[in-house]
Amino acid sequence: MAVNGADDARDVELSSLSAIYPEIQQVHPGDRYTIALDVPVTPSKAVIVSFPAAEQPTQPVQPNGHPHDVEGGHNLVDQQELAHLPPVHLEIAFGPGYPTEKPPKVTVTTTPPWLPLETIQKLQDDAPRLWEELGRDMVGFTYIDHVQQAAEEVFGLVGDSGTLEVDGQHKISILDYDIQARRAAFERETFECGVCLDPKKGSACHKMMDCGHVFCVHCLQDFYNDAIEKGELASVRCLAPGCAKEREKAVAQSAGKKRKKVRTFISPSELLQIPLDQEKVKRYVSLKYKTELESDKNTIYCPRQWCNGAARSKKHKKPQGLELCEVSEDEDDDNKDEDDKESRLAICEECSYAFCSRCQQSWHGEFVRCMTRRDKEQLTAEEKASLEYMKLHTTPCPTCAAPAQKTQGCNHMICYRCQTHFCYLCSAWLDPGNPYFHFNQQPGGRVTSCYMRLWELEHGDGDDVGYGFAGGRGQGARPQAQIPAQIAEPEDAHVVGDAPEPVPAVHVQADPAPENANRPAEVAREGPLVLRIGGGNGPAGAGRGGPRGRAGNAPVPRQAAPGGRGQNNHAEPPPRGGARARGRGGGGAQEQQQFQGPPRGGAAPRGQGRVGRARGRGGGGAVPARQNANMGLNQAQQPPAAQQRRNNNNNNQNQNIEGQQVGAGGDAWAVDLEAGNGGEGGPALNAAQEAWIRQFVQLAMDDEEDEMDDEDEDEWDNALLF
Amino acid sequence: MASQKRISKELADCTENPPQGMRISLPNDSDLHKWHVTLEGPSQSAYSGGTFGLFVTLPPDYPFKTPQITFSTRIYHPNVTNDATGSICLGLLKPEQWKPATRIRSVLEAIRSLLVEPNPDDPLEARIADEYKNDRKEFEKNAKTYVTRYAKGTPKFEAVPAAAAGGSDGVGDSSTGRRAN
Repeated sequence: MAVNGADDARDVELSSLSAIYPEIQQVHPGDRYTIALDVPVTPSKAVIVSFPAAEQPTQPVQPNGHPHDVEGGHNLVDQQELAHLPPVHLEIAFGPGYPTEKPPKVTVTTTPPWLPLETIQKLQDDAPRLWEELGRDMVGFTYIDHVQQAAEEVFGLVGDSGTLEVDGQHKISILDYDIQARRAAFERETFECGVCLDPKKGSACHKMMDCGHVFCVHCLQDFYNDAIEKGELASVRCLAPGCAKEREKAVAQSAGKKRKKVRTFISPSELLQIPLDQEKVKRYVSLKYKTELESDKNTIYCPRQWCNGAARSKKHKKPQGLELCEVSEDEDDDNKDEDDKESRLAICEECSYAFCSRCQQSWHGEFVRCMTRRDKEQLTAEEKASLEYMKLHTTPCPTCAAPAQKTQGCNHMICYRCQTHFCYLCSAWLDPGNPYFHFNQQPGGRVTSCYMRLWELEHGDGDDVGYGFAGGRGQGARPQAQIPAQIAEPEDAHVVGDAPEPVPAVHVQADPAPENANRPAEVAREGPLVLRIGGGNGPAGAGRGGPRGRAGNAPVPRQAAPGGRGQNNHAEPPPRGGARARGRGGGGAQEQQQFQGPPRGGAAPRGQGRVGRARGRGGGGAVPARQNANMGLNQAQQPPAAQQRRNNNNNNQNQNIEGQQVGAGGDAWAVDLEAGNGGEGGPALNAAQEAWIRQFVQLAMDDEEDEMDDEDEDEWDNALLF
Repeated sequence: MASQKRISKELADCTENPPQGMRISLPNDSDLHKWHVTLEGPSQSAYSGGTFGLFVTLPPDYPFKTPQITFSTRIYHPNVTNDATGSICLGLLKPEQWKPATRIRSVLEAIRSLLVEPNPDDPLEARIADEYKNDRKEFEKNAKTYVTRYAKGTPKFEAVPAAAAGGSDGVGDSSTGRRAN
């Protein structure tokens, strides 16, 4: 009777337990009275779990039965916040005699064995204790419920420090379990996708890694695939409104003054997880890298026509596989210094061709001078036309110089390449936070030249809309739309003959009002201009080291002093309307360069802006030479092209260039200008040209003239894109 | 089509529970991509008493692309062009700031709050912005004059917005960008 009663009691209890916990299983096929159940350990609040290195002697938590493994002696305590811990596995045997005579027998295990032995022992002892407390009655539900409640508190194992310590050897499996459990929980949830507004199961959704916003996989795929296909890389970011902004704010608040840039784009690995096709992600990575290279003005490209890869650079690392390398922003500032010192050796990262970054020839070693540049005469008519068009109808981005042509809308532009905000009229950088300010009154009632001009050219800029607006390029006095003539080879220019007449020199009074920005080339041709260092008061480069010599008023030696490899005259004609002379001091010699255009046919010499530049380079002291135009007795042979042009010019004109060389042991710059303005009847110096000269001189005095040079070259590079 | 589905959801939401001071209607029941919105001038603003029409044009690839919203009623406001196109300068509506999870409701609400509080630091009409900042009385007088002249009665939607009206910013054409040779 008793036995039968006990059997009945067990069956009743088991059937109700199975109803409450459907996951209950039988352990042994033949034994229906031994059941197994996993009790999840999901703390009510995520716990910080630390995995101390196994060596720590005072480790309060002992894993059950497992000896410590000494793991390489690293004492780093690793902490992770976990929401899920591996479940506690209960095996409950309701033996014969239960519930009246014998308590149930419970075995507690975990996989991995992260629970301490004492805890397990205590849990196992709780079953008979509760059985006693209940008056030796059916204890199954009470016990399981008790374990569940204890699990929520992690069995009281979270120490005073708020962390739960678990042996380091279980770290991987415990973390793994947490990830899986989180994922499972996420998949069970339902989310409303902010894009399609449909409720979706978590299993069809993706949670953004950086911000945690959830969208459905379908929408993300649609949107990102489309954006990558169209090359709209900037929109490959979280789709929630204001998302990056909010994070930026949060970062700014937490980091105080130190404003770190918040990463807003999505990493290729996350795109793969969404998942996007590998092909698309590949395209994303390569486009991203390309944009990065293109927005850097210093990028050098392989001269091989079939390759056109970028040269290896420290700043931009070619992506390996599908991973993008972060651009190291802080290197930006160093670049300036490095430019001069850095090797001219460039190696293409695509085809490994080694070439000189300056002359674009195969690498010739550090010590070979290379002044040849790409022959810009070789532009085809088509290229010239494109160039003209670009000059006329595009505005360069102030950051990356990418030309932009407005098709419609207001003059607040955003660069398609680097997302810089700028003004279409004057190419000025605009504050992204307040771009229209530029077109409004400034503090103090001042206004910019673009005041109230936001909507000018609303219907776009270009031949097709009938505007001949020169964009940002039309502003100021920079010479425009000039096709450069041939570059003189150093060897071509040498000093010959005597000038038959002295050429009067007059200082240019530059006036920045542009009158005709398109004619600077004429400047070069129309009259004598003497460029001097330091004006009449002595060389500006004084103190720059090296022995200095001065030719003073004496006729200038025609050739470089012995030892100096005085050479080269780089008449770089129209685009800048200036001649350039580069000198390179080979030894401790004095160098002088002088080119003076002869007054021809006795016509009145005209003062025109002409800038000469000389560069002294080399070990010794190249000494500045100075020649007053009045004393100009030497005549420089013009580079053939220039000569020809001059000949074409019916007016007899003078060209007077004086290259100056300054400095020792390095580069030194000094430019001064004078213009011959002797006769009457000639055209007055064009205001735009004067302004340009003035700008050039200013730059030169600030030692920044080199940069201007670079910009011009960049424009050329851009021009050559067509 | 995903776009249609989302638009009909948004439309249902906006008709059942319209944003404050607005009525939404479809000029053509078969075209979900064109909405007409009637906006009451907020009582605490200079536009109080006026009724303004807004064209909402949703591109075919909405919500991936920015909706275009323009005023069909002339309005004297620093952030709305003072002409027949009625272009609105609103960060949310700029293509580069548009996020697909932004809803029309929140854009409309943003436009309404622009009437309550113009943003003279980011103006389309610099002169009106200056006036708003420096001579508020004159500004309010002008705004009210416009309300009386243009915004009384049921707004008219007959003027079709110019093709180029919606966006506010110059569209950069990538005239170059590759090294072709």
